[in-house]
Amino acid sequence: MRSSRTLGLIMIAPAAIMIVLFFLMPVVLTAVFSFTNMTTATGISGGAYQIAPNSLIALKDEMPEVVQQLTEPRYAIDEEGIKGVEGLALGPGIATELREKHLGEVFSSRREAERMIKDLNDRPSTRDVKQISEQFNRSVANLRFSSKEDLFASLDKFGFKMTSEQKEGLASATYTGWSWTTENFSRIASSPDMAQILFNTLLYVALVLVLFNTSYAMLLAIWTHYMPNTQATIFRSVWLLPRITPVVIYVLMWKWLAWDTGFISTFMGKFGYSPKNYLLDNAYNAWLFVVLINGFIGASMGMLVFSSALKAIPKSQFFASEVDGASRWQQIRYIILPQMRWPILFVTCYQTLSLLASFNEILLSTRGGPGKATEVWSLAAYHTALNNYAGNLEYGLGAAMALVLVIIGIILSLAYLRVFNYATLVARPLIED
Amino acid sequence: MTILPTLKCMTVAAAILASTTALSFAKDLTVTVWAGGTGPNDVYRLDAIDIAAEQLQREAAIKGEDLKIKVEKKAYSGWEDFKQAMTLAAEAKTAPNIVVTGHEDIGPWAQSGLIVPIEDYVDLDSWPLNNIYENLMDIASFSGTVYGIPQDAESRPMFFWKPHMKAIGYNDADLDALPQKVQDGSYTMKNLLEDAKKMQDKGLVQPGYGFYPRYTNGPDFWQFYTSFGGTMEEDGKLVFDKAAMQRAYQFFADAVKDGVTKKNHIGMPADQWWKEVASGKAGIWHGGTWHYARYVNQEGLKDFFGNVIFTLIPAGEGGKANTLTHPLVYLLTSGHDKDDTEIAAQLIKIASEPRINVLHAVKSAHLGISKSETEIELYSSDRWTREATERLLPYANAMPNNADFGTYWNIMWKGLEASWTGAKSVDAAVNDVEGELKNTLGDKIIIR
Repeated sequence: MRSSRTLGLIMIAPAAIMIVLFFLMPVVLTAVFSFTNMTTATGISGGAYQIAPNSLIALKDEMPEVVQQLTEPRYAIDEEGIKGVEGLALGPGIATELREKHLGEVFSSRREAERMIKDLNDRPSTRDVKQISEQFNRSVANLRFSSKEDLFASLDKFGFKMTSEQKEGLASATYTGWSWTTENFSRIASSPDMAQILFNTLLYVALVLVLFNTSYAMLLAIWTHYMPNTQATIFRSVWLLPRITPVVIYVLMWKWLAWDTGFISTFMGKFGYSPKNYLLDNAYNAWLFVVLINGFIGASMGMLVFSSALKAIPKSQFFASEVDGASRWQQIRYIILPQMRWPILFVTCYQTLSLLASFNEILLSTRGGPGKATEVWSLAAYHTALNNYAGNLEYGLGAAMALVLVIIGIILSLAYLRVFNYATLVARPLIED
Repeated sequence: MTILPTLKCMTVAAAILASTTALSFAKDLTVTVWAGGTGPNDVYRLDAIDIAAEQLQREAAIKGEDLKIKVEKKAYSGWEDFKQAMTLAAEAKTAPNIVVTGHEDIGPWAQSGLIVPIEDYVDLDSWPLNNIYENLMDIASFSGTVYGIPQDAESRPMFFWKPHMKAIGYNDADLDALPQKVQDGSYTMKNLLEDAKKMQDKGLVQPGYGFYPRYTNGPDFWQFYTSFGGTMEEDGKLVFDKAAMQRAYQFFADAVKDGVTKKNHIGMPADQWWKEVASGKAGIWHGGTWHYARYVNQEGLKDFFGNVIFTLIPAGEGGKANTLTHPLVYLLTSGHDKDDTEIAAQLIKIASEPRINVLHAVKSAHLGISKSETEIELYSSDRWTREATERLLPYANAMPNNADFGTYWNIMWKGLEASWTGAKSVDAAVNDVEGELKNTLGDKIIIR
């Protein structure tokens, strides 16, 4: 008994590892990222402390003199630096000439110091010039420090007199990395754009789900149910085509159909209408196409589920109703629909969740346009976190948006489990008791 | 029997010794280069590194070193995929050695440590780097440190279809004088919309084709903000000039209201846009200097100068005529061996030599990066590069290299898209932009 339990655990281990790695970890990471202000500019792996002029702008009012000193590069030719140059084991004349001709000179930028070094009799190579100038750097300007301690040590080394409070202030102003924050969620809650995106998402899910994934799928299933077998199979196969066509090509065909040199424009041109981009003409059109494109793909799944469920209804019920003189509509109303309750619920639940997370067809067709009219939540999260013309990807905000979606998904799943009455579905069959 | 092991031992030792001696002189290196926004006319962005590698190998050979460089090149035709790939690769420490990208990436990438300053590896005082235009070198810097080397320069002019302009009453002399009138401020954005309307009213172009702007987000739209008096940055701080932005948004909203620009213009298929502007289907449009190469090479517009006239972006209310240069830059990424990075830096330096860079400038119709480049015959005998350099480059602004500019840009574009498509009124869009900027950038942006 014990050994079989251990064996069971071993057998399930690979699956458990996969679940943790590929299902749980992304959600956990999304949750972690969502509480940060991570962007391309802050990096993901952690930041550094960099005394760059632009990072000190905020501190200018508080401690103007310190900021002025910090941002000024200073290269001083002193004995310490010359000793450093001797340690580099370059040409012996270099250190000697520096000591004889340049000791005590101060340069306000690295470029100026390097110009002097390049004028030495033993002209060093570019690489050596860089190494030599580094020996004389007496400022922290534009240096990167991997830790606060390194930064403070350098400040002390270069003789900046600062209180520990000032140092802390400087550290936080010059930190380039990300920090923990709940701001993403307050931005989501307060932004009118987010409300619009949420509305778009609900509209998208509701329209595609009700019109196509359930109603139209049911219609297809019932139509094919009453067809002869061969015709029904052909009909169903045709409806599967949108699902099995690569999505890029499928959407491209819609675009060819709808843009202003496309089929619809050419056809309407015959009746005197001027060509226009039907897909992006206005928000209504964009929505119509988004719903159609997704609906035609989504309807096939419901059709398959409903068709097989229909097959499971005993034929005798149909024969009996025919004998009783029932019409097609009566058969649908009194035989088919009552027995399809569970498949309908299943398709509704499954498709709601997949529609919430799907955005590739919208991305390929309207990119969320015109004017963000068809931007749904998952597409907005993708645009925010991973796709940006200006190259500043907002990982933190995007993750927060994704997390909201995950939470909605979990709540809906739990609600559906309750509707399905999961406990009874998985209950032990009575016969085994 | 004992000789064999001894012999074996000696052979192995000799081989090891030989390999170490060889190592001190030989270096085999693969340098990877990725370039964003790179189409068939821009191949020299990558090929220039190939040519530079050949040169550097020869230089090494003279010094008695055996340097072998293999250049691995990757061109991304778009920008968004490229930036996604580059930032994620850099985070995963698998970034290419060299990237060719828009200069505006220097800010965020330098701050997050994805790139290293090129001035740590090359001598900026020596040729060819000391010959590159000073303002372009500034654009390639962040916080006073030179991070990149300009790969090209360009500007983004306004184009007019000459036959349509003639049909609404301009004669040849008027057209020749137009660039100067735009520059003086006597031909404004208002005149532009009027002319676009005239073209439509005369049936020369279809409704919505009078003024046919860029169809996607891009740096171009900052020109309109500047043209209406806006400033992007002042003393290292971003600036949002509310009134100027409102006038810029209003310009596009008016263009749609007058029917000279399509409400659904944004997001149209790229191929369609290119074909239409290169064939006279559109009346007035804006684009980049590199468009010339595509119009002539791919779109079949053989007589460019006979059909098209180009000017600065005209002044709007409160602003002045301007254009924007958006140089691409060669950048060195972090996370590589220092010696390898140094070689990559040398390759960039060589690739910036006038004779090599001119191949890119002329083939792709971009502008040269240095004074000497304009003196090379291939460049100076090319009418397009010569005229564009003279007439546009002196008036070109650039976007700021500020780590937060991307955020500002996104919010600005969202507002423009909303007022263009009528999703929001111009007032509402500007107010929302202001609110979002305050929310997200706080005191990093001056709002006035």
